[in-house]
Amino acid sequence: MAPPEQLPSRIGSALDELRAALTRAAELTRELEGRPESAADLKSRLADVESDRQELSAKLAEYEHQVGRLMNLYVATYQLHATLDPGEVQATIAEIAVNLLGAERFVLLFRKGGKNEGEGDCEIAFSEGMEENASGAYHDGIYTGGDPAVDATLADGILRIGPLEGSEAMACVPLTVQGTTVGALVILKLFDHKALLRPEDRDLLDLIAAHAASALFAARVYSNTDRKLKTLESLVALVRRQ
Amino acid sequence: MKATKVLVVDDSKLLHRMFEMMLRGFPLVHAFDGREALDRLAEHKDVELILLDINMPRMNGLEFLTAVKAHPEFARIPVVIITTEGTEDDTERGMQAGAAAYVKKPFRNEELLSVISRLTASPAA
Repeated sequence: MAPPEQLPSRIGSALDELRAALTRAAELTRELEGRPESAADLKSRLADVESDRQELSAKLAEYEHQVGRLMNLYVATYQLHATLDPGEVQATIAEIAVNLLGAERFVLLFRKGGKNEGEGDCEIAFSEGMEENASGAYHDGIYTGGDPAVDATLADGILRIGPLEGSEAMACVPLTVQGTTVGALVILKLFDHKALLRPEDRDLLDLIAAHAASALFAARVYSNTDRKLKTLESLVALVRRQ
Repeated sequence: MKATKVLVVDDSKLLHRMFEMMLRGFPLVHAFDGREALDRLAEHKDVELILLDINMPRMNGLEFLTAVKAHPEFARIPVVIITTEGTEDDTERGMQAGAAAYVKKPFRNEELLSVISRLTASPAA
């Protein structure tokens, strides 16, 4: 037991401890009273975070979609200009139509040599899925005219996307070189699992309109020049041997 | 972690270029028909995924898939068929032949990347 002279100081100390405990209790009480508000606050912040997450998720999906779209455009452009072989350029146009646009039936038309805009027949430079449609406007490797949308595109060089009144074409893409329409890519049918052309397909169609003809034109010019050069070289070699 | 080696089998140069862009994180092996693909597989025994077209010259995709699934060394490799043949029958034929997934052309890049991520369990490019 503590001596009597130590009691007042111990009582004072105990009182201090008691006061501190009461202060702490009051703080805890206030904290407890404030809790319902904190929970509501937390719920509100959680809702904000969830909303932000959904927004970011949608933005990410949109971003990925845009990246895919740009990648398609880049690859298509790259591949169109990657060769100077006219056959390979034509094959690339067909690959873009089939693999990127989902075209099941289409024709690539070029004006016959020397003809101007709005004049005469077009040769069918390439076609896909046309075996069952050998009659009609496209036959014997020639488009003789008659489809109003195709004729209009060949005449005015404007891209048309279907459905087009009075036309069996789903899209008529003009092929232009230095402002002159030299032909058209006519998409007649898409694969059954692709119901319609999508908005992003418009970019690819624009790209074909701007790049396909110039790539093919450059390849044909190079091919002709190369053939003439080889002919000349063999003539020179022949003369030298004599 | 070692990146998954992918064998791309398609007769379209455009698509080979596209896969190069899309799958930058993956080492790619290229083949343009089924027969060439079998040769590539013999050379690259560490291939862990095959992206396969159906309509190809010399040996088509289904013939190649059948050969792969009959081969004890390669049968375990998951094969994703990527093709314009999009009917239910086509899909069923591909899956019955042993394909792990079936993607119809034209595909959205994120769609294919999601399939590849699922099959490789490693982050797509």
